[in-house]
Amino acid sequence: MRKFWASKVMFFMVTTLVFAGLFSGCSNPAEMGGEQQQSADSSPKVIRLEGGDYGLPQPYTTHSRGPGRYKVNLIFDKLVEKDESGYIPWLAESWEVSEDGKEYLFKLRENIQWHDGEAFTAEDVAFTLEYVKKFMPVVSSAQLLDESFVQEVEVKGEHDLIIRLGEPSPIFIEELFSISMIPKHIWQNVDEPEAFTGPESLVGTGPYQLTHYEQEHGSYRFEAYESFWGPDQKVDVIEFVPVSDPVLALHNGDIHLSDIPIDSLDRFWEDESYEVVEKPGVWGYRLRFNMERKPELQRRELRQAMAYAIHRQDLVERIARGGGIPGSPGILPPDHRWYNPDVNQYEYSTDEAMELLAKTSLESASLSFELLTGEDQEVRMGELLREQLADVGIEINLRSLDSQSRDQRIADAQYEMVLVGHGGWARDADYLRARFSSTDGDWVNSIPGYHHPQLKRMLEEQITMVNEEERKKTVMKIQELLAEDVPEIPLFMRTGYTVYNKEAYSGWMHVFDHHNMTHNKLSYLDY
Amino acid sequence: MKSLKKLIFFWKARSVSGKMAIIVLVLLITTAIFAPVLTNLPHQRSSGPALEPPGRPHIMGTDQLGIDIWSMIAYGARVSLAVGLGTSLLAGFGGGMVGMLSGWKGGRTDKLIQRLIDIMLALPELPAMIVIAAFFGSSLSNIIIVLALFSWSRPARILRSATLSLKEQPYIKMAAHYGAGTGYIIRKHLIPELFPLLIINMIRLSSMAIVTEASLAFIGLGDPASRSWGLIIHHAVNFQGIFMTSFWKWWLLFPWLFLTLLVTSLALLGRDLESLADPRMLR
Repeated sequence: MRKFWASKVMFFMVTTLVFAGLFSGCSNPAEMGGEQQQSADSSPKVIRLEGGDYGLPQPYTTHSRGPGRYKVNLIFDKLVEKDESGYIPWLAESWEVSEDGKEYLFKLRENIQWHDGEAFTAEDVAFTLEYVKKFMPVVSSAQLLDESFVQEVEVKGEHDLIIRLGEPSPIFIEELFSISMIPKHIWQNVDEPEAFTGPESLVGTGPYQLTHYEQEHGSYRFEAYESFWGPDQKVDVIEFVPVSDPVLALHNGDIHLSDIPIDSLDRFWEDESYEVVEKPGVWGYRLRFNMERKPELQRRELRQAMAYAIHRQDLVERIARGGGIPGSPGILPPDHRWYNPDVNQYEYSTDEAMELLAKTSLESASLSFELLTGEDQEVRMGELLREQLADVGIEINLRSLDSQSRDQRIADAQYEMVLVGHGGWARDADYLRARFSSTDGDWVNSIPGYHHPQLKRMLEEQITMVNEEERKKTVMKIQELLAEDVPEIPLFMRTGYTVYNKEAYSGWMHVFDHHNMTHNKLSYLDY
Repeated sequence: MKSLKKLIFFWKARSVSGKMAIIVLVLLITTAIFAPVLTNLPHQRSSGPALEPPGRPHIMGTDQLGIDIWSMIAYGARVSLAVGLGTSLLAGFGGGMVGMLSGWKGGRTDKLIQRLIDIMLALPELPAMIVIAAFFGSSLSNIIIVLALFSWSRPARILRSATLSLKEQPYIKMAAHYGAGTGYIIRKHLIPELFPLLIINMIRLSSMAIVTEASLAFIGLGDPASRSWGLIIHHAVNFQGIFMTSFWKWWLLFPWLFLTLLVTSLALLGRDLESLADPRMLR
């Protein structure tokens, strides 16, 4: 018996070792890019952050979520960048707008080099704007890809170019922030950008270069690019390491910054070497409906009933442990600059919900929906929603997937109801247009089967309004309409706290519309 | 009357640890059966504030959603016991039968079954189960079937070798000589003789199955609707920074304690019962 077990254990160990060897041997895309180490006289400043695999940080292979996007942004630059108060010139030194608002004259910074030594010119910008229309990057701008929006890109000189728009747009500069500039001399021959993963695919103009990436562990290492054109890097090496419990990892010094749940904050408050920063409420969860798959959900009363039945404050208390703000039925969250506080708030009330449900005269058998959630905390949130909706007679069957599969199912409209959390709620109100007026089968943001002609018209009007006051007024009205119609339910915005180790690095900053200090490159630069 | 006497004899023959184990097991089984009576708070929904420390009315506190932990443990006992019992019946009894058949029949049947067992033994269990659970979904019955599928080979092997030595006994040879069929021999001679061995194997299997179910639930592959002990532990451990707070003292500790109690008592009982299978240890 014993011998038998021993042999079994041996066998298992040997197999494991062999497999481990095989895997580490054949799928190790590490060691790409240059090995530029900072000069040896002072030890390089290294900071470590929580890792996780978010794909190769190239515009076409990154994952669409924040941690992936901002890794791309360390290597690649955009024409504009964000700081605490708004958009700032970046690769573009300055720009002028013509009187009719349709012509932008950009002047690019001079003496910028790609990581391979070639010069960055207006040709590259024109090429990129053309290329993204042909091959849509993971992060893109619906407007810039629209044929009729950017009508012409004209290169006037090595560092000057004119972009002509079909319509004046109040958000053109913001839209430019979504496009990472890629080098023409490398990408012009690339026909399959998703499969372009060699070292050349990571040539940008940005402050950092990727020197190590291991997909299995989700670990990355970025090193400062010596000849970066812009502000000096204050951090020489940024490492993303696998972490199982961020709170413990921060406490043990394995990482230098993390979001910390409120229950564990005390010891960081007391400790001198940590700094605690409150986060803005611009990362939120929403409950989305697939009205194509479940036509019952087209009944406005049903959605309103759900809005009444869901106790959003309770979600904040239990799931976020108090670190959050209930979402506004008008979608734009309270921390948004154009938030409309006067919309119908749907204060928690099972009576109202029941009354509305009775009005729909739907059979109770048809009040059963599958709710798709991500992992861990989202499952718990799903359980709470199930409980609250069960109280008014709506049955919820939970189904949980890892968040990447969940995101994919959203893109394919393979769900009945879905719970999803993401950032970007403080961005320009134009994101409402992508969410509620798109019917083109791009379901990442929008709602399958939802049609509201009046809403659609207003959403399309606001984007052409160059007068800010007028546009704001329209957005306020749009929020009222949304709150009335409840096409989706914003559950809550996470606030909470970020804690960082002051001794390791203290240059962290928030940009004006984003929740995470590690997500902007100015945090790492001497800006 | 006779069976009562037998029971008393059985009880007296047990060691102290065996007796303890039996008491604990009986208590846990009672808890599982009478869960609705023993708890007055729901186990599927919140019944109080979140993360309340043990006190009244939540004797073991509440979890993040405010669900009573004692209720979850009482109902979760059903899951653990069902998995243990289901797997041990399916795999222990089924596997044992296969082993007896293989040992008795010999020849080609034996060879075929032996090779099959070799294959099953060579497969690494937990990784394979993770893949299967992820692939087929994780309802409770699925988990039991998968567990049984991966654990029938050990009892089969053990019972086969026991059958082989039993086969040489004169009285069995005699029976076979007089024309007793396979079914008759297994039913009348092999099973009664090997029953203690079978029981021990089943007990061992059940404790393995309970731990494995908890492990699957712990890594998030359990049946999300079943609320087993492993799932409670899973949720607790996934609560960020739980060890930096005092919540683990009830949210994690109690399900862990019950799981440990159950598995330890099964192990002790199995060990104690070995005397049944080995007559030299008894009498």
